[in-house]
Amino acid sequence: MNMKSDQLPIAELPDFFRDMVEAQQVAAEQALEVNRRGFLKLSGVAGGGLILGMAMAGSNKAMAQAKKAAAPTEVTLSPYVQIKPDGRINIFSKNPECGQGIKTGLPLIIAEELDCAWKDVDVQQADIDAKKYGAAQFAGGSLSTPMNWMPMRQAGATARAMILAAAAKKLKLPLEELTTSEGKVVHAKSSKSWGYGEFAELAATMPVPDPKTLVLKDQKDFKILGKRYTGVDNVGIVTGKPLFGADTRMEGMVYATYTKCPQVGGKATSFNEAHIKSLPGVVDAFIVEPFGDGRMFPTATGAHLGGVAIVGQSTWAAIKAKRELEVQWDTSTAETATWSELAAQALALADKDGEPLMMNAGPPGPNAKRVSADRGDVAAAFASAAKVVTGFYEYPYVSHAQLEPQTTTAVFKNGTIELWAPSQIPQGGETGAATRVGVAPDMSTLHQMRIGGGFGRKLANDYVYEAAAIAQRMEGRPVKLQWTREDDMMHDYYRPGGFHSYKAALDAKGNLTAFQDHFMSHSANGTAPMTSADLSPAVFPMDVVPNLKLTQTLFKNAIPTGAMRAPSSNAFAFSFQTFMHELALASGKSHADFLMESMGGDGFTNAERQQGMNRTRAKSVIKTVVERSGYGKQMPAGQGQGLSFYFCHSGYVAQVADITVSANKEVKVNKVWAVADFGFIHNPSGAENQLEGGIIDGLSQLFNAKITFNKGVVQQQNFHQYPLLRMPQAPVLDTLFLQSAEYSPTGGGEPSMPPLLAAVTNAIFNATGQRIRKMPLSESGYRLV
Amino acid sequence: MATLQINGQAMDIGSIDPSTPLLWVLRDTLGLVGTKYGCGIAQCGACTVHLDGAPVRSCQIPVGNLTDQKITTIEGIAAADGTLSKIQQAWIAEDVPQCGYCQAGQIMSATSLLQNNPNPSDADIDAAMSGNLCRCATYTRIKRAIKVAAGQQTATAFYNAVDEKGALV
Repeated sequence: MNMKSDQLPIAELPDFFRDMVEAQQVAAEQALEVNRRGFLKLSGVAGGGLILGMAMAGSNKAMAQAKKAAAPTEVTLSPYVQIKPDGRINIFSKNPECGQGIKTGLPLIIAEELDCAWKDVDVQQADIDAKKYGAAQFAGGSLSTPMNWMPMRQAGATARAMILAAAAKKLKLPLEELTTSEGKVVHAKSSKSWGYGEFAELAATMPVPDPKTLVLKDQKDFKILGKRYTGVDNVGIVTGKPLFGADTRMEGMVYATYTKCPQVGGKATSFNEAHIKSLPGVVDAFIVEPFGDGRMFPTATGAHLGGVAIVGQSTWAAIKAKRELEVQWDTSTAETATWSELAAQALALADKDGEPLMMNAGPPGPNAKRVSADRGDVAAAFASAAKVVTGFYEYPYVSHAQLEPQTTTAVFKNGTIELWAPSQIPQGGETGAATRVGVAPDMSTLHQMRIGGGFGRKLANDYVYEAAAIAQRMEGRPVKLQWTREDDMMHDYYRPGGFHSYKAALDAKGNLTAFQDHFMSHSANGTAPMTSADLSPAVFPMDVVPNLKLTQTLFKNAIPTGAMRAPSSNAFAFSFQTFMHELALASGKSHADFLMESMGGDGFTNAERQQGMNRTRAKSVIKTVVERSGYGKQMPAGQGQGLSFYFCHSGYVAQVADITVSANKEVKVNKVWAVADFGFIHNPSGAENQLEGGIIDGLSQLFNAKITFNKGVVQQQNFHQYPLLRMPQAPVLDTLFLQSAEYSPTGGGEPSMPPLLAAVTNAIFNATGQRIRKMPLSESGYRLV
Repeated sequence: MATLQINGQAMDIGSIDPSTPLLWVLRDTLGLVGTKYGCGIAQCGACTVHLDGAPVRSCQIPVGNLTDQKITTIEGIAAADGTLSKIQQAWIAEDVPQCGYCQAGQIMSATSLLQNNPNPSDADIDAAMSGNLCRCATYTRIKRAIKVAAGQQTATAFYNAVDEKGALV
């Protein structure tokens, strides 16, 4: 069966992803052109080996990288595949690994179409090179799998076709009589087989087939995909090998800390320089001026906040000196917002409307036409409603708290900047670092390192740019920048807090007829929302309700915000889907029926463009989770189950949480059932990891995560003030993937998490009758045990 | 010139500020970077090592306080010939890591648990592991891997098994 693919959710994406996705599509077309013109043969390689790569005209750096990358005995069939004479195969994984499993996932896809044995594959992390790998070497938006599914299959099939062509030529056999199996060319007629390695060198001289002529495998013939695989770096991880950004070590390396103003956006004017420089082990200390606007999510701009760098002979020397640092800050343009004041303002506006919320009328982008998101006649629907339900919801700023504090190693030498960084947008790190130190883009090289937790924090490259700036001052010497946990928690690009004042109408039959939201959020300039601080009417049920009215109020507040696992959805799933449970109860229908009937039909919500939420798939996950959990059955006193559904990042997930609440509000989450539809699951172990991790991540955020700021100063500094969930609090999990086989795979990292939030709040209501409209639950006295 | 007993070897650390936490001596001085920095205040457990067999947070131990205690790090858990410990093998078989940054600390805590209590209950596992944060939330797999290593349950079937040195077979 051939799989169909829903379109990538480009319209839903933040600008920085959309630009990369569009650039990737252009680059893919250009790559096809290059392919058609054939590969460029490079000669003069040490040892007389043969290296072939895609034509990289005009890029000396790419040429040099290609020469450097391939040992003389290896034959490069494409930027993704190298075959050694002994038959071992290097497969290059192009995107950053941040725990989402992509370093295993992408090579599996290539290996399937290459038709080799997985045990013969050595996975290598690819360098950053847009000419070889396109413009989308990033980890975000749950896009790595869906964007690369077809290109990786084609990469594997291309190499296989070239090997077969070479085998036919060398063996003087008709191509039609040859086939492949587990890394061998097979001639059935003579019962003979030969390893791929025997043909690799000749294969590299074969014409590159037009991708349109490639015959990809039918899903029923998959030998590799669909089975469980352990991660390719797991042996290195369990033996402590240097894999991570923080593990970089270089000859003559010095170690830096970087201290920014506690009041976000303040600039250093002076510091106790003589004292700091007199401390043992301190090599240098200096002020680094801010570059660009470091408050705005810096994915590729080179921007970062100002501060004081201390360079030491060891990390400890730099950290110890940092503790004695006294800085005079200019806070005249620093942030002044206080969370508690914003929350009070929002509450006071709950009964009022904001400004009309606008949405794109056509293609997104800076010149997109903006129109009101409203539709129908909300006033008439409320006037004729059988019931009107209102609810004011609040959620806080949240820190990513990835376990690896920011770090980058950098060398500035001979007008070039070279970086070793754990970055989710390494291309943006590379180009932004060039901008920051004032060199041409091709004078900047970034090596992508394993990321010690991303969650969206490392989409911002501020720490890469800081390292570049410090390395420029320390010209010639490798510098490793190491943030402390306190630096990390106080200078995040947070998930923005927000407020929703909802009002909805139900008719006499309990149908949802009107939906209204006054959304309150944040903006640096008062007009454009901060990153992830916007509201899209594509969110269920706003995408389907007949009458809709959306308004917004933007508080002037530029506390830095960014994308965190399931941006927007990680908050909306709490407020919208808890409110949907309120509506379901008012409707007299079961919660599941109310959700499904509110969807108003089957197939895509935007049937004309075959876009949006596919309601057939949405209903399947809801029905299945209800069946598996027995949701709706009578529960003992103090115990309850809660249901929730959310659609984002092309993924459909429904969850049921089973909880017990004690008289003093101790909540034990006994079990969570999750049913997900991410299309075909090509590595069930990896997908299950994302789903399980998402559920527990959600619990952690729901109960405890809250960042507050007071006059622009973030109040939480380390895990004692920002507790994460620990093992004893983790529930039993029951996960299932509905592999609607005709759908190609989408990403699971983000859609796994959001439904958990409302599944638990709805369960607490069902157990106790207490409705919670504010995250985190600790604010309402609840404690996860 | 000071030496530390690490992973069965006497390692020279030169003259070093005695206030330096063991964590940074391991990472910066000795290049044993498997032990990770996460919080610096003994909240996350990423820096867990063994001191005379007991799990400790290396970010809290000034190197000047150490004399001849036996220190074991994640680099010293496998046998000298590369054979992985049962815990390490179970971690691979269960595909525990997501980002993997905390896992060295998790493995050090789990190793100590099974050394002292070869047949732990769920509550024993919870208690022994509650000092180690995993931001990716791999807790359910960590628990299962500990049970597999303890022989309490069989490993989840993978298409590709690994040998005792971690190579795919």
